[in-house]
Amino acid sequence: MVSLPSPATEYLPAVARGDLAAFESLYDRYSSTVYALLLRILGNADDAQEVLQETFVKAWSNARMFDAVRGSEAAWLISIARSRGIDKLRARRVRSDRENDAGREISHRSAFVDHATGAEDAIRSQEQRAVRGALGELPEAQRIALELAYFEGLSQSEIAARLDEPLGTIKTRMQLGMKKLRERLKAYH
Amino acid sequence: MTASAHDDFEAIAALDALGAATADEERALREHLSSCLSCRRARDEFAEAAALMAKDLEPVAPPADVRERVFADVAPDEEAEGERGFFSRWGLATAATLFLALWGWREIGIRAMREHVQSQQSDIQRLSNEKQVLELQREKLAAAVASLASANTQTIALTGAQMSPSASAKVFMDSDKHRAVVVFANLPKCPTDKSYQLWILRGDQPKPQSAGVFDVEKGNATITIENLPVMTEIKGLAVTMEPRGGVEQPTNANYYVVGKT
Repeated sequence: MVSLPSPATEYLPAVARGDLAAFESLYDRYSSTVYALLLRILGNADDAQEVLQETFVKAWSNARMFDAVRGSEAAWLISIARSRGIDKLRARRVRSDRENDAGREISHRSAFVDHATGAEDAIRSQEQRAVRGALGELPEAQRIALELAYFEGLSQSEIAARLDEPLGTIKTRMQLGMKKLRERLKAYH
Repeated sequence: MTASAHDDFEAIAALDALGAATADEERALREHLSSCLSCRRARDEFAEAAALMAKDLEPVAPPADVRERVFADVAPDEEAEGERGFFSRWGLATAATLFLALWGWREIGIRAMREHVQSQQSDIQRLSNEKQVLELQREKLAAAVASLASANTQTIALTGAQMSPSASAKVFMDSDKHRAVVVFANLPKCPTDKSYQLWILRGDQPKPQSAGVFDVEKGNATITIENLPVMTEIKGLAVTMEPRGGVEQPTNANYYVVGKT
């Protein structure tokens, strides 16, 4: 089951006005979700913390760009974090041997473990329960396609190559998976 | 546009929310969204749905020092604030100084203009007074010339006395106008505290009657006697040097010019 937060006060309008207290509330409410996302994308606590910091600093400076009509502030923050996380991941891929990322296959989630930061337990716990809720209800083939795109920033072609499936099949899986997530989202509103 | 076309764009929007749309798909979607409200809504809903994938993860609390770093980045920099405050105060002080300087400059300008106006008004008054004086002098000169030109004017010559033997004078006496014009020549220069004074020696009065005070320039002077007592006998005229401004009666018998009429 998707654990959607209950409708709550949105802090970004106040943050846009320079309200530091609202920004603290925003951080306290979403930093754990954003951090988990960045750990999932980057698999490295230091990098995740760095991008987490960048995400909230950007949220502070760009809060006025948030449009509540278009979506929730959670989705807005997550979108920033995901975008920056993927950028960092791609930059890191360019620099390092792709062997370093080999362990990041969906079926080998233990690659998230970062022995240097002490976040290992939390990450393992996350990994144990990662496939649950909305994603957990998707057919595995669709879920994997979505996760490869969303968490690893792979293109349709890269996913098709990774999974050794036809491009059209991958595209259809992704579209069907997103359609189901959208319907589930609507069901909660 | 057909429903199928909208479905196609919604399908692209689904991929776009995952960051998985191709460049061509993205371009076509952006173009379509600019004029399709329903597909924009679908795009936003897919973006919200994609966020579910993050929300679906087990939250992990970040280390406390990340929070500290974040707030260090966004919190107002007290030093910078201080500098901004300093510059703000400095700017305010500068603005105030400039304002006062401009205000002072304006006041000085106004004051200078007032003084200039006052000066001009004084000049106007002075010139007006001078004009009146000149007008009076012109009238006197015209009267004197008229008396000199009158057929009835009597001319009397006065000679230098013991104090200035080379001095002389001519009296043009116009009985009709009760006026006499006396023109002196070769009188010595008068000390600054002294004035020459012309006396009429009348037959009906024992004491001389003052006919006026005058100064000389290069030894020359002209004096006009108005209200000349023509009905009485004028025994003669005499000039003495008296305290500046003249006196009621001669203070000495040192005559410079004398003569009988």
